[in-house]
Amino acid sequence: MQGEIRLEELTKQFAGVVAVDAIDLQMPPGEFFTLLGPSGCGKTTTLRMIAGFERPTSGRILLDGGDVAQVPPHRRNVNTVFQSYALFPHLDVAGNVAFGLKYRRVTKAEQRKMVVEVLERVQLGGFEHRKPAQLSGGQQQRVALARALVLTPRVLLLDEPLGALDARLRKDLQVELKALQVDIGVTFVFVTHDQEEALTMSDRIAVMRSGRVEQVASPREMYDEPATEFVADFLGVSNLLPAEAAGRDGDCCVLRLGESTLLAARGATGSRGPVKAMIRPERIGIEPHGSAGENRLPGLVERVVFLGGSSELHVRVVGGSVLKATVVSGDGEAAGLSRGAAVSLHLPREALRVLVPDSAQEAESAAAAAERPVRTAPSM
Amino acid sequence: MIAWVRNPWGRPRWLAVVTAAYVLWSIVPVGIAILFAFNAGRSRTTWQGFSFHWFTGSTGSVLHDPALQSALEHTLLLAGLCVAISTPIGVALGLGLQRWRGPGGGTVNTLMLLPLVTPEIVMGVALLLLFLRVFPGIGLGTPAQVIGQVTFTLSYVVVMVRGRLASIGREYEEAAADLGAPPHDQLLRVLLPLLAPAIIASAAVAFALSLDDFVVTQYLSSDASTTTVPMLLYASARGAPTPALNAIATVALVITLATLTLAFLVYRRFAGGREAVELASLEV
Repeated sequence: MQGEIRLEELTKQFAGVVAVDAIDLQMPPGEFFTLLGPSGCGKTTTLRMIAGFERPTSGRILLDGGDVAQVPPHRRNVNTVFQSYALFPHLDVAGNVAFGLKYRRVTKAEQRKMVVEVLERVQLGGFEHRKPAQLSGGQQQRVALARALVLTPRVLLLDEPLGALDARLRKDLQVELKALQVDIGVTFVFVTHDQEEALTMSDRIAVMRSGRVEQVASPREMYDEPATEFVADFLGVSNLLPAEAAGRDGDCCVLRLGESTLLAARGATGSRGPVKAMIRPERIGIEPHGSAGENRLPGLVERVVFLGGSSELHVRVVGGSVLKATVVSGDGEAAGLSRGAAVSLHLPREALRVLVPDSAQEAESAAAAAERPVRTAPSM
Repeated sequence: MIAWVRNPWGRPRWLAVVTAAYVLWSIVPVGIAILFAFNAGRSRTTWQGFSFHWFTGSTGSVLHDPALQSALEHTLLLAGLCVAISTPIGVALGLGLQRWRGPGGGTVNTLMLLPLVTPEIVMGVALLLLFLRVFPGIGLGTPAQVIGQVTFTLSYVVVMVRGRLASIGREYEEAAADLGAPPHDQLLRVLLPLLAPAIIASAAVAFALSLDDFVVTQYLSSDASTTTVPMLLYASARGAPTPALNAIATVALVITLATLTLAFLVYRRFAGGREAVELASLEV
């Protein structure tokens, strides 16, 4: 099976500014791989280097083992779906889809057949003679997809392809796109800044930040086991409590928050010094004020945000931090949870994660890099 | 009337009033000039009845006066050559300046705009000296006139092509490359079709500018055979003017309008309706 991509020490500088900083990534054939990060993190530059629109400053791009870093885009067997779609406005749908077939050894008759087939596949049969301007955003997106897929690329690159669509359509297309990818088995490299999109569709996600890869993991792993404060904060809602780590006690790390002591079983449990304690809102238990037991924090409800199927409680705990806790709708009202109510928050030790702050993290990873000269991204 | 102008729910009426006044002001003199081309008598100020005499009559008409005919032919020849030369060079320059920026691009850019702001009389004198002193081999006459006109129409072509290119964006070329098109195909199959409206429009503008040009063409002319319609109009306006001059001006005007209309129609075939409106605004 073809379509494996490996990036080795890939670097891109623009006029001295480092956009992509020696990243290593591996995408096995047939994987739905997402590059996720805020704007300016280098995800689009990485994608454009794989496509061939940007020449790497250094490093290698291996497509099925061959280095394509210096191959111009028109000679690479990868295709791109652009954020703006970039459909040729002077050509109709069929003309757009057939554009790249001119460079393949196929007869006119075969071309027509392939165009019809691929348009059926993206549910645009019968739209052959429309001009791009006569199509809706979602339809244009499908044409862009068809135009790339008809060339049966080894890898399909998608640069925020759903960014320009409205929320409802985006949800539908997320599901469709994922189904299509599974169906045709082509490697997808998907760039987005939308964490929900990344979680829904990807086999694996790489979270990027200022030109570097923060973490590579499956969506579930990424959500449950964020490696850094940045990842924890970027994916989903996180509570990050500043705390002082006082070393290991059995399997757990002892954390001090002012007067209180918490035990955390996940993350960097061997740490000492200032750390962040991280917990997802849905893992926090809400108990009546004064409940006893370990990992309980007393607090006052500051706000109840109704979200439909659930509500989000903002609770101010000792030390002044505000924690968000999710309550399934119906439960909250029963417990009489409203603004000003005194509660006790249970932060289970197996849901509490110790994260080393960014500066310490960087020092640590620099030390690790010095130990291992060849860095490779963790693969599944 | 006051209420009609002040209607706060309607469009701003005073803009309509100003526009109408301006259109009237600019069209009425042209209309009168055209009207007297059809005057039966020799006067260009007193109406003496309708006639086609000055277009097709047996004496002194556009059709039968050798001087007028030669001027018209020479004007069209210059315009045709000017378009044929300045359009391709201008498109190439526009592409080069906009897409393949290199060292010195900024300087070239400024230099390209210079002919647009240089007083034409300065350019005319400079070109005259150039052909008399530096390139006496070319000398004055038709080749010098063509080169002179191309010199300044080129800037218009470049500016129009670059304006369009700036709005096209790079993603179309990237998409073409992505789909396997080598660089010359990116140009031929994508960029030039997208540029077609600007190319047609700039060709039409170059044609109209050449047709209309007096100063440079006058300076670089040699003998009577290189006299153009504007030169003839200028020279005979002081001599013994007849409505034949109005007639030839009318012919020139019709040719200009026909060119621009044709350009507009071709443009509309290539581009969508929205872009056609852009060109329509250019024609004025």
